[in-house]
Amino acid sequence: MRYAIRHLTRFDYAEPVGFARCNLRLKPIHWSGQELHDYSLTILPGGDTAPARAEAGLANVVRLVVTEAVRSLTIESSCTITVDRPVPMPRSDDPTLAQVAAEARASRDAGPASPASYLFPSPLIPLDRDIAAWCAQELDPGRGALEAAIALACRIQNEFAFDPTATLVDTPPREAFLKRGGVCQDFAQIMISGLRAAGLPAAYASGYLRTLPPPGQPRLVGADATHAWVLLWCGHARGWVGVDPTNGIWMASDHVIIAIGRDYTDIAPIDGIVLGSGAQDMTVSVDVEPLDQPA
Amino acid sequence: MASAVADTGYDTAAIARRWLTDYRAATPATDMLYAAGLDDPAWNAALEELAERAGEDLTSARERAQRHAEDIGTGFRIPGEGEERPWPLSPIPLLIEKAEWQGIVDGVAQRADLLEAILADSYGPQNLVRGGSLPATLLTGSPYFLRPMMGLEPPGGCHLHFVAFDLCRGPSGEWRVLADHLRAPAGAGYALENRLAIARMLGGLQGRLNIERHAPFFAAFREGIAARCKRADPRIGLLTPGRLNPSYAEQAHLARYLGFLLVEGGDLAVLDDRVYLRTIAGLKRIDALWRRVDPRMIDPLAFDSHSAIGVPGLIDAMAQGEVVIANSPGAGMLEAPAFAAFLPRVCARLTGESLKLANIATWWCGQPRECVEVAGDLDNMVIAPAFGVATNALSDAKLGSAMSPETRAALIADLDRRPQDYVGQEVVRLSTMPVVSNGRLEARPFTLRVFAARGADGSWHVMPGGFAQIGDKPDARAAVMGEGNWSADVVIHGGDPVAPVTLLQRSDSTQLRRNPGTLPSRVADNLFWLGRYLERGEARLGVIRALLGHSISADSGAALAADTVGRLVGLVVQAGAAAQPDNLGRAQLTRFAEAAMDATDGWYSVRTINRQARAIGAVSRDRLSADMIRLLDAPYPTRGSALDRAGSLQRRYSALAGLSSEHMARTDAWRFHDLGRRVERAVATVSALLALGDPQATSDDLSALLDLADSQISYRQRYLTGIARVPVIDLIALDPGNPRGIAFQVAAIAAHLEALPRLSDDGIAEPQQALARELAAMVATAQAASFGRDQLFAIDHKLAALSEAVARRYFLHGSEPLRAAGLVVG
Repeated sequence: MRYAIRHLTRFDYAEPVGFARCNLRLKPIHWSGQELHDYSLTILPGGDTAPARAEAGLANVVRLVVTEAVRSLTIESSCTITVDRPVPMPRSDDPTLAQVAAEARASRDAGPASPASYLFPSPLIPLDRDIAAWCAQELDPGRGALEAAIALACRIQNEFAFDPTATLVDTPPREAFLKRGGVCQDFAQIMISGLRAAGLPAAYASGYLRTLPPPGQPRLVGADATHAWVLLWCGHARGWVGVDPTNGIWMASDHVIIAIGRDYTDIAPIDGIVLGSGAQDMTVSVDVEPLDQPA
Repeated sequence: MASAVADTGYDTAAIARRWLTDYRAATPATDMLYAAGLDDPAWNAALEELAERAGEDLTSARERAQRHAEDIGTGFRIPGEGEERPWPLSPIPLLIEKAEWQGIVDGVAQRADLLEAILADSYGPQNLVRGGSLPATLLTGSPYFLRPMMGLEPPGGCHLHFVAFDLCRGPSGEWRVLADHLRAPAGAGYALENRLAIARMLGGLQGRLNIERHAPFFAAFREGIAARCKRADPRIGLLTPGRLNPSYAEQAHLARYLGFLLVEGGDLAVLDDRVYLRTIAGLKRIDALWRRVDPRMIDPLAFDSHSAIGVPGLIDAMAQGEVVIANSPGAGMLEAPAFAAFLPRVCARLTGESLKLANIATWWCGQPRECVEVAGDLDNMVIAPAFGVATNALSDAKLGSAMSPETRAALIADLDRRPQDYVGQEVVRLSTMPVVSNGRLEARPFTLRVFAARGADGSWHVMPGGFAQIGDKPDARAAVMGEGNWSADVVIHGGDPVAPVTLLQRSDSTQLRRNPGTLPSRVADNLFWLGRYLERGEARLGVIRALLGHSISADSGAALAADTVGRLVGLVVQAGAAAQPDNLGRAQLTRFAEAAMDATDGWYSVRTINRQARAIGAVSRDRLSADMIRLLDAPYPTRGSALDRAGSLQRRYSALAGLSSEHMARTDAWRFHDLGRRVERAVATVSALLALGDPQATSDDLSALLDLADSQISYRQRYLTGIARVPVIDLIALDPGNPRGIAFQVAAIAAHLEALPRLSDDGIAEPQQALARELAAMVATAQAASFGRDQLFAIDHKLAALSEAVARRYFLHGSEPLRAAGLVVG
């Protein structure tokens, strides 16, 4: 499936701010199953952009510097991308969770795509005994890795309520867990926390999800937002496999990865510093338009 | 001190002998003092020196050491506590003979080089991981492995500049490494202060034992950092997280000793990949930072974007080679206890040598075989989190044999799921050393913290000594000073006579200068407000004392007319120090005055002002003399009558005023402090004149006014005719010769602002200078006879504008960084 994606972020400030410096992680990375055709980044009123030197996760980072004083800042990231990812199928010869954990521990690669980088708690995703015990219901060490992954994702989707009022962007996983509710970020964090507590390498993926319109209605433009889900490394043979606990489904051709990290702090689409005082207001709109509709 | 008997009358040799004999009778042979032998000249010398000071009374010797430490100003903070605690210094140093010490020195230097090599590889090609010498999870498991540092070539070519290791001495006398400190190695300042205190106390020991001194070590460190900088005469800062950090006092002391600027993140700015300090003379380049800030907090653009204490862009500046950061962020990953299991192998692989200082035996459970071994032998091991952070089952190191059944069960379960989070370590039996306890010498287990710094030539210099941490548990692994612990100076002795060296450079290589360099804006701000608060407290106390004097002796000369008392009360109420009393009866007035002194619940009382001054004193330790700090730190008086307490506080403030005017060098720092005092005194005098100097003022009003302005005597010397309004106004407001008067303050303010640095040399007055000149002109041209409320309001207004202009021009600007974070909703 080919998509045209437009991701618009607008900051409005009560007082003019100066000397904004931001990290932009908006350009989708290279990853198996997705191919970027063209990409553009537009900043209003303008600013200097340069590739950032180094990075915590798997992301394309651009450093944005706006030196003039501004009252608003608009960042538009647009791309055309083809996603062609088969739906993973659990197989009887999948490695067990115990084998996956042991393989990950013995890794000889400390790079950002290595399972070794995703075994440990991270700033936003601490290990939590209660989350661990709850997730462990689906994580028997002898179970096949893919079967366990989708079972846990489905369990979260079934037992947690999708409720944007339940949590905020910085709500810790434990709080969302106790409420049994939240949004995609909460579900992804809970699942990652549970997987890591079981010794499994689990990463946080941020990106876009094509949302299907209800039958007979046109797709709503701009109603979409960025999405978050989970990647579980399933041994050398099967590699990274994506699951989406918000929807209880595999990551396949409806999911477009922007970046992969230990958690949101590694790959926040926009973070940084502006100098100023007073309030800021942010609006985000994402538009994921399928270009080649099947007849 | 050879003729000690003649000096004090104590037979010090006999006393020392008796202490030694008694001690040995109750002490295991693994003890440092026991092992040295009954006749060891060094220990005998140390104990004789102690007896020289204290006679038979060891407890008084201990108290004396404590007092010396307090005098030096050593303090530390238990995390979560607001007040500093006195440093628990033992009067008995740990003595190590030079030959034994040399083994430690060699081992420390080898270890520091090894750790540097591992860091260079880990943040570079990662050959050790690829080749299987280090598991990848050993890197990624540490919260201090900072991926954004990958590929960054540290300026000057090294990650490590200053390191500390905790060593322990085993039963057979061998030294081994307990822990590595690479992030922000604390304690060097304490070692320095311990030495100072012990030198004051056991003065004769230096000459008797040829004790190695610390100064060359610190000189080597400073030269080492300077040598890594691009510029020849670099400006070096000590980057502190601020006053609430447990070792802030140490940091302030070290900054002062090393000649580094004590800076916080907010003092620094990065422009075009260069780091600048905000100073009163504009932005000044910073070439190097010795950081004591958590590396993850150091740059919100590189690491944690929530950091409010970091410097945005600092890591970019480092990557461009424009600033040396000691130690490199990311170095802390090697502190993980799990590394100890791999160091022997890595050392052999990288250098072909074996470790000269072994680690305590360590098994990392991330490897299947080791995990089985540890799980099978829990009772004979210490189990610790592998990466120094709490795990699902353990918050910190625990003896396996001492675990509760629940902890043990949780540990065994977690070892199955996340074995990589745990290490097993051998149970260490620590050697002991003597401390004073129960009036005698008793043996206590100790660990030794040693320090090494990279010198200008790149090689490691080891501090001769360090400090001993003495605990009360046989396996004391607590690395922080806490309750029940002692620290002791560590003395290396037995070499050749040591030439006295201090950090002073040889005079022929030093360019003379009379200004200590640029003053950071934050420091100027603090000193200005310290001056204002101290002066404000003094003025407030003046009014309160007038009221109390009146209320106590209503029948004597101190009595004032009711109207005058009402106006004084009005001054206090107007300042927000206390609520208007119902009436001006004696009892009411006393209560009112006491409230204005002591109230804490939101009133702007003397106590509140005192607290404000004290808080600034706490962050200005590197700029104030020890005497000033001690006065500022002194507790608020709570005993005695209000009048007594007011008097004692007043004396304290006078002493502080005296110290600042007589002891502070006439630098820009002093100018800001004095500027604050002058502005505040002018403001207070204007208020007093407004309250008591009206044309209808009574002679009681005018007399009280002269009291508040401390000008009674000046007035009586000038005027023999009794009290009249116009001469009083002239003396207090307009006479430039009265050091308590407004005219004098205004002239001093103008002089300070003329002398402070300007941003450009175009000769045009900066706003604060222009305001000061206008103010001076207003006062100079005023006539006492026509001087009234209008003029006073105008002066008050100008003073406020001037204070603001000073803040705008010299101090940090109020705009706070906002965080722009993206949002994920799904």
